[in-house]
Amino acid sequence: MSTDLKTGVEIARPSVEVVGDLCEFKDSRIEGIIQQSIARNEKRAHFYDRVATVTVWTLSIIGLGILAFIIFVILYRGIATALTPGFIFGKPQALKEGGGIWPMIVSSFYLALLTIAIVLPLGVGAAVYLTEFSREGRITRLVRFGADSLSTVPSVVFGIFGMVLFVIYFGLGYSLLAGAFTLALLNMPTVMRTTEEAIKAVPHSYREACLSLGASRWETAKKIVLPSAMPGITTGVVLTVGRIVGESAAVLYTVGLFVRKVPVSPLQPAAPMAANIWHMYTEGALVSDWMRVANGEAAFLLLVVLVLNLGARLIARIYQKRLGMVS
Amino acid sequence: MHENGYKFELEEMDLYYGDFKVLEDVNLEIKKCCITSIIGPSGCGKSSALRCLNRMNDLVDGARIEGSVVLDGEDIYDRNYSVVGLRKRVGMVFQKPNPFPKTIYDNVAFGPRLYGIRDRETLDGIVEESLKSAALFEEVKDKLRTSALALSGGQQQRLCIARVLAVQPEVILLDEPCSALDPIATQRIEDLLSDLKTRYTIVIVTHNMQQAARLSDYTAFFMIEEQGDPGKIVEYGDTNTIFTKPTDERTERYITGRFG
Ligand SMILES: Nc1ncnc2c1ncn2[C@@H]1O[C@H](COP(=O)(O)OP(=O)(O)OP(=O)(O)O)[C@@H](O)[C@H]1O
Ligand SMILES: [Mg+2]
Repeated sequence: MSTDLKTGVEIARPSVEVVGDLCEFKDSRIEGIIQQSIARNEKRAHFYDRVATVTVWTLSIIGLGILAFIIFVILYRGIATALTPGFIFGKPQALKEGGGIWPMIVSSFYLALLTIAIVLPLGVGAAVYLTEFSREGRITRLVRFGADSLSTVPSVVFGIFGMVLFVIYFGLGYSLLAGAFTLALLNMPTVMRTTEEAIKAVPHSYREACLSLGASRWETAKKIVLPSAMPGITTGVVLTVGRIVGESAAVLYTVGLFVRKVPVSPLQPAAPMAANIWHMYTEGALVSDWMRVANGEAAFLLLVVLVLNLGARLIARIYQKRLGMVS
Repeated sequence: MHENGYKFELEEMDLYYGDFKVLEDVNLEIKKCCITSIIGPSGCGKSSALRCLNRMNDLVDGARIEGSVVLDGEDIYDRNYSVVGLRKRVGMVFQKPNPFPKTIYDNVAFGPRLYGIRDRETLDGIVEESLKSAALFEEVKDKLRTSALALSGGQQQRLCIARVLAVQPEVILLDEPCSALDPIATQRIEDLLSDLKTRYTIVIVTHNMQQAARLSDYTAFFMIEEQGDPGKIVEYGDTNTIFTKPTDERTERYITGRFG
């Protein structure tokens, strides 16, 4: 060992001198050049940094401003109506003034519930299959490509497709169920994709640990992967509920526009809020205060969607806290 | 029926990842109730060799084995051999502590629950016993219901050991279990493994020569000849012999820290 050390030192000594030479060389010329170049670069970087900051800020403020303006207008025109219990829980009127929107609220959530009941098992199942069971190949690529293409199709096209297939061909008529199937198709790609992303974010080491304890792939998916992906999946579902509640085009042709009574059976027609608002604004209505009703309903719908979006964030946060990821 | 004192017998085993031959001609007999350590330079296939023993390599696309790996007289790569059953008998502790994002209790109870144990009291007992065996119980007994992710690295690793002990395997494989730990935590885990070896067959991959020398009864030295070649066993035998008078000059050079 000691001889090793000695030879090591002997080799090291001349190299120290070389380094010394280099240092002097660096002092006289390279250092100056480098210093200049650093200064120049810094100035330029600083300039671009400034430009980028200002641009990004301006654009965000414009974007937020527009959003705030829309929200403000809708709330300004409708909030007073929307928050009165008589309006929320009231019966809609077709002929006289002072109608409420309770059946529409129920319709919206009923529809959302049915849709989720259909889309969740399908979307989550597909995502689990794609990520956990299938080998990456032509079929998985095809499925993903199909889902991605589907999610770019405008919802009105789904509406008409749903009308032809579910309302007419399967004879469901205008009904919550026909709408739920249509909306399930519409939201299937996003549910699948968000679930897939949530599943992919689950560390591989959890799966390894689980499998190494003698769990099958199915048990691993059920007991480790899905629970760990739950925050992501739940967030996706709540956002989907928001989208369903806000969707009008696909609902117009499949569920209905106006009802007077709360729908009970999924085979009954209903009038989700968004479709009802559209209906009143385009066809007007026989009642003279239709503007008030429509604005109030719009404000209420906006509040629901806002609460759902906030809720989605909150849920994700709570889950993470519970898992000890956030202190 | 199969009594020759060997738990695992690897015979002329080759391992491929796709077209890449990772290991070649591995012959290894792993004795019951002993600690066998696997040492060798980085990338020589130590982890891969270890993962052949519980078929974790099955997870790698294109992984393929030739030769035979025999556990208690049965070839574990036989087509009818149950992988799930194998992994229940051969537990594994990974390099990076990987507790589940669950409570400490649920981590340890995970395996037993998987095997269908539902009874509260039985589970409580298993959890306590396992944590005690892993020398962790005293530190966590008041917070069994808190997240395992809040534990320190060394505690997490002992929790992972407890999680494996809870399923009462016959063999425990450890892949550099102490590489992320400080000397004190390392010491605790080494003590623990020495205690456990009366009941379990233990195979440990380590980069720490002292650890291999202190801890193990047998040592296998793996190496790759040249970049791109498969890893091979250079020398395998009694730890004392390997560390005091190795027969192969490459083993000596590696152990004395002069290459690798
Ligand atoms: N999943 C994988 N797919 C393809 N090649 C792999 C995979 N895992 C490991 N390898 C390759 O197999 C060889 C052996 O890797 P292995 O992880 O077994 O080495 P090791 O001896 O454990 O190294 P270290 O000491 O750094 O952990 C390496 O060349 C590595 O690149
Ligand atoms: Mg390794």
